[in-house]
Amino acid sequence: MKLNKKQRYTFLVRFAFFVMSAMLLNIGTYGQETEKVLVNGVIIDNAGQPLPGASIIVEGTSIGTMTDVNGAFTLSTFKGKIVKMSFVGYKSQKITASSSEKLSIKLEEDFITLGEATIVVVGYGTMRKSDLTGAIASVSADDFKKGVVTSSEQLLQGKVAGLTVIQGSGDPSQGASVRLRGGTSLTASNGPLYVVDGIPGVDINSIQPSEISSIDVLKDASSAAIYGSRGANGVIIVTTNRAKKGKSLEYSGYVAVGSVAHHLDLLSANQWRKYVRDNSIANAVDYGGNTDWQAELEQTSMAQSHSITYNSATEDGGYHIALNYLKNDGVIKKTYLERMGISASAFQFALKNKLRLEAGVNTNFDKWSVIDNRIFLRSYNLNPTIPVRDENNNFSNVPGTLYENPVEINTNRTSEDTRHRLLGYGKAEYEIIKGLKAVVNISYEYNSHQSGLYKPTYAVMEGKSSVGFGQKSLGDYRNAQLESYLTYNKEIGSHKLNILGGYSYLDYMYDGFGALRQGFNTDLFSYNNLGAGYDAQAGDVYSYKGNSKLISYYGRVNYSFMGRYMFTGTLREDGSSRFGSNHKWGLFPSASAAWRISDENFMKGTEWLNNVKLRLGYGVAGNQDGIGDYKSFYIYGTSSPSSTGGTVSVPYFDAQSKQWKLSYGPSQNANPDLKWESTATTNVGLDFGLFNRVNGTIEIYQKKTSDLLYTYNVPVPPYLVGVQLANVGDLTNKGIEISLNANIIKTKDFSWDVNVNASHNVQKVVKLSNDAFKLSDSSKPQAVELGSLNGLTGMTGVFTQTLREGYPVGTFWGRTYQGLDENGNYILGPDTTNLGNVQPKLNLGLSMNFTYKQFDLGISTYGMFGQKVLNASDMIMYDGTRMPIYNVPDDFLNSGIGKNQPPAYSSYWIQDASFFRLQSISLGYNFSIKKIGIEKLRFYVTGENLFVITKYKGVDPEISIEGLNSPGIDMNNYYPKPRTFSFGVNVSF
Amino acid sequence: MKIKLIITIAVTLMFSVACTKLNEKLYDQVLADDYGKSSGEIETIVGRAYASLRGFSDATSNAFPTCEYVFFLDECVSDEACIPTRFPGNNWWDGGRYQEAKFHTWTSSNLMILSSWRYHFIGIAKVNQVISAIDNSNQAAEAKSKIKAELRGLRAYYYLRLLDLFGNVPIVTDFVNNGLPKNSTKAEVYAFVESELKDILPELPGNIIYGRITKNVAYTLLARLYLNSEIYVGQARWKDCIDACDKVTGYTLEPDFFTSFLTNNEVSKEIIFSIPYDHKAGTTGNYLSSMSFHYNQHLAFSATGKWPWSANGMCGTPGLYKSFDDKDVRKKSMLAGVQINLATGTPILMGDGNVLDYTDTIQEFGHANENEGVRLKKYEVKDGEVWERDHDWVLMRYSEILLMKAESLVRLGSAALAQPICAQIRSRAGLNTPADIDLQFINDELRREFLFEGHRRTDNIRFGDFFKKGWNQNVTPAYRGIFPIPISEIAKNGNLIQNQGYN
Repeated sequence: MKLNKKQRYTFLVRFAFFVMSAMLLNIGTYGQETEKVLVNGVIIDNAGQPLPGASIIVEGTSIGTMTDVNGAFTLSTFKGKIVKMSFVGYKSQKITASSSEKLSIKLEEDFITLGEATIVVVGYGTMRKSDLTGAIASVSADDFKKGVVTSSEQLLQGKVAGLTVIQGSGDPSQGASVRLRGGTSLTASNGPLYVVDGIPGVDINSIQPSEISSIDVLKDASSAAIYGSRGANGVIIVTTNRAKKGKSLEYSGYVAVGSVAHHLDLLSANQWRKYVRDNSIANAVDYGGNTDWQAELEQTSMAQSHSITYNSATEDGGYHIALNYLKNDGVIKKTYLERMGISASAFQFALKNKLRLEAGVNTNFDKWSVIDNRIFLRSYNLNPTIPVRDENNNFSNVPGTLYENPVEINTNRTSEDTRHRLLGYGKAEYEIIKGLKAVVNISYEYNSHQSGLYKPTYAVMEGKSSVGFGQKSLGDYRNAQLESYLTYNKEIGSHKLNILGGYSYLDYMYDGFGALRQGFNTDLFSYNNLGAGYDAQAGDVYSYKGNSKLISYYGRVNYSFMGRYMFTGTLREDGSSRFGSNHKWGLFPSASAAWRISDENFMKGTEWLNNVKLRLGYGVAGNQDGIGDYKSFYIYGTSSPSSTGGTVSVPYFDAQSKQWKLSYGPSQNANPDLKWESTATTNVGLDFGLFNRVNGTIEIYQKKTSDLLYTYNVPVPPYLVGVQLANVGDLTNKGIEISLNANIIKTKDFSWDVNVNASHNVQKVVKLSNDAFKLSDSSKPQAVELGSLNGLTGMTGVFTQTLREGYPVGTFWGRTYQGLDENGNYILGPDTTNLGNVQPKLNLGLSMNFTYKQFDLGISTYGMFGQKVLNASDMIMYDGTRMPIYNVPDDFLNSGIGKNQPPAYSSYWIQDASFFRLQSISLGYNFSIKKIGIEKLRFYVTGENLFVITKYKGVDPEISIEGLNSPGIDMNNYYPKPRTFSFGVNVSF
Repeated sequence: MKIKLIITIAVTLMFSVACTKLNEKLYDQVLADDYGKSSGEIETIVGRAYASLRGFSDATSNAFPTCEYVFFLDECVSDEACIPTRFPGNNWWDGGRYQEAKFHTWTSSNLMILSSWRYHFIGIAKVNQVISAIDNSNQAAEAKSKIKAELRGLRAYYYLRLLDLFGNVPIVTDFVNNGLPKNSTKAEVYAFVESELKDILPELPGNIIYGRITKNVAYTLLARLYLNSEIYVGQARWKDCIDACDKVTGYTLEPDFFTSFLTNNEVSKEIIFSIPYDHKAGTTGNYLSSMSFHYNQHLAFSATGKWPWSANGMCGTPGLYKSFDDKDVRKKSMLAGVQINLATGTPILMGDGNVLDYTDTIQEFGHANENEGVRLKKYEVKDGEVWERDHDWVLMRYSEILLMKAESLVRLGSAALAQPICAQIRSRAGLNTPADIDLQFINDELRREFLFEGHRRTDNIRFGDFFKKGWNQNVTPAYRGIFPIPISEIAKNGNLIQNQGYN
């Protein structure tokens, strides 16, 4: 940290004062030590509230006590002894024991230790940050992403070191993908486990973003192992707003406008005409129009959001209610997300405050429209001289392949999706004896997704050929859970002990059905009367249902001595119905320790170092996401896998009856050895506080995942089905994370805070084969060819990525581009080489907050650096043979690529997609008008996505790296991101 | 106090022991052990074995339906068809797999070869599994052996194809033993096919049952085996071929050549064995027409645009159209010339503004224009049809029996006896037959009669054209008469030994 002159001066004065006061206090110890006094009183904070749990220690001894619930304490010592009162989050104070009169000691809040005092939600409980032994990052509501938020995980983008949040689309109905410390799985989701108010495994969007008060990210296995077979990708604990003491009514709302931030630069109609003239392309058809096909799909988006919360509580009980509404149009026509939500919770103490009952319900309703992603490719393909509509005002439709009018596709299609979410819970906590508490938490989650789609009889894609196409489906799932546990807290002198033991039961049930029908005499019914379609076909109707169960036992011990040495051990045993019969139960242990070095005597004199804590942890957590239900059985089915990734039923012709019937056959090989993937993490962390201004954390970790699940191709025969899911491989992730939180200036009128986080992760696939299962997808034994370009013209069977031992997932392999020959044809190197990787080398988040009198200003940025993207969109479009049929980018004309050079995959198209994005700037003003009954009134304006610094040439460098098959490939279908401005107000009474 | 404590702990524990069972209940699937008890259920399992003939469209295991890579491989290495790489872009380059096929430079990583291997072995594994399920069922012994005879016939069909394509393939008949199979020699595979067919003949039904393995189908398979016996094992068996042909009965040549290729071609009295399709019943993988015609061809087939997308891929080799006599009705198996928009009556234009005119020439195989090459139009094209077509996929026709017999007679020096047989086929095609026929005549007649039916590679090999220089076809060494075992199959199964000549 670089200090300016004034700061340096202030710092020196403070330091000198501190040293002097310490000396003075020392002088005071030259007193008599004979007479005993009873030091007693209360410890309060700035606001006069009592501070329970503050420690009072006679310096140089282990004699001490703690304040009770009312902040009161009594300590017997000799007169003249120095007594130190301290509490995390506050500057400690020392007094000289002199008399037995009642004291009232006010502890000042302290920036450094305040951070340490933060209450962090860990699995099945809370802890102060100062007591943590694992790697846990906390983000409070103040630090969440500003502006329009349509999905709760977006709140965390750029906020937590090691947490990569990628918003790979500008569609308001699409959430972001979240990955912690690199992916640990090839097959399963790499998303973290979400725990909402103590309920694990539920949809984070059951909760309105505005109702989330804080999010804690359990990063290492020593903190996540308590979640066993679901904790390997980290755990994100979401805490929602609860009734606070007093009564309040709050409204917040905003309106926002957005437009496409960037789309591709393709030839305009006049540029196209010039090209055709200049190159004397005979017979090229000029349709006389002047169309920017991308712009024709776009719109200015409007968004509005309103939320009202009401809160009423006393010491004994209270409730909290929140109502929310959000409507957010997308920047592509017809896309939107509309959401309504209600949350209500209440608590009540009973049985002499020994029993605390709590119940709550969160419910919301989403509605959105799904667009046909194929419109983007067509908007790049179509000749710009084609008018959108012909002289009769009908959509123009020039025959060709991949040439349907995208405006027609988008306009003539009707789609509506809805989702209902319900999360209800009831929780009882009973204090059996002092320190021993029993907790029972019963919850129920219901999530149902309904969708309808209709393509009318005149729609060019599918509508005409199937004479109207209607589809409707409903799918839902239920999570019924029981968590019951006992906790025991005990403090003896400087020894603090916390023991937890519990049991949980989860019953997950899903089912659904759907129908489609073709052949409609009228388009009037849309998808609402599928029975009106006459063209019944096999596979028109389907239904499914499945179930899984998870049973767990878990326990944890926390022990700390003098707040200086801390130890945590956890153990969880998970039994899952998904596991094969040979591995029904898995055991997940962890242990971690922490040492607050700054409290040691030998650290005296380094007062600029306010806090130093070293943490070390090891633990094993699992991932059972990749297994799916019933995957260990030998199963018969009526269907077999289809080329599109789904399944198709397998009928046969019965010659006797001259009828078609459904055949049955093996749909899955048995695998009784199927089990969870297990990830062992070693984590070393260092927390520090400097100059009373800077809090920081450095984490170094190594994660080793074994029993990696992958779907192997197996020989048929002897196997019945050509694919088999099996636990075979190993992979590792290693990395380092740094976060700094600095309070650079804090004066009465002006403050300036800076938050920086940076992380670096290196992934390596260590092992992929064993004796029984070998890789054989490709022409390269011991490697899997991925990154398929199937779907791009002429590129079927062209693979761009290879999964192989020694490299990370998403590694591009191909020939190197070495220049162009005199005809503008590619000169490519002869050999296939490693062309880089889709995973970022550095993730960065930087935000700053300023306040000046009643103004506040927040700036948030984030960036990803070093990741490679295959710009397959440009690869296909930088092709002179496209003209005059298909449009080409402006820049193609300057590229030197020859007119007869067809597209080819090479390093030329692997582009550095490093970027740095201004996520938001938000300027607010707080009115102080308490007189008329308004507690708080704040207006603000927010600008989002104002700029992106990048060399990447595609629509947007933030490309999804989810999945194994084609991460980091820009495939002609990027929904552009909006640039948004919003104006909002918060008012509370 | 103590009581309270005990009660609370007891209640909490009660929750814990309440649910400790991880019992799994299946709802929409059935455990293999629970299915296949009744004869009705058995029938649906046997049905799966037959359904394997359609091929499984399964992207993860690189298997493609019959009409795509299984058929493409047979055709693209032959002298009658090809898939050129076309402008704009690099359309149908697809990693070079079709170029390798035409140039006869395929490697063991060619995806069509892999797909064909998997198609046949998936079929064999299905048959073996069904046989095992039947063995374990409580059917009567007689019923069991009847069903098993049919299934073994189906397996022999796959093995004869494997013998033809790959030669030295592993013979797997056991379902229970899970060991990795080893190669058998060509001669062993040959012997296995012959003995299996002979063994099951008494058990097979003698009547015509559409789409099922019958005595007629088994004899056709034997005739094919003997016809190519010299290629397979170096021992000519023309007489055996004639005998087998003579056992095939109950069929006639349809007066109209194209009856066997109608959308409802199950009416044909000429089809011996086929793969039935009906998209409304849910069959998938039958879209050959859409693999061949130009994108804008739908304008010529439907005035209202109700004809599916087509991909502008496979076409005839240059000069193919010219080689057919204009009077030959079978010439209509190809589409050539300017295409007319049905709605407007004007020529159809391609995207570049030029007229869609299918030519009998291809200037440059690696950079062909959109309209080059005549198109496959053997199966009926109907206004309003959808991507998944309903015509059955013809595998064996009676005219093949006639021409196998004619060829064998010519080879045995009895061309005069073969002449009237050929005349039957020629007159139906609207042609006269020369008095003297020879092997070259038979070779040409085979191409004309079975154009685009997947026969040509085998015929090219038997007549030697496969190894000579041809249009874009290199002089081909003898070892390429069979395909290499796909490298990825060898990677999975270390017991497999690559065919000689391929490394």
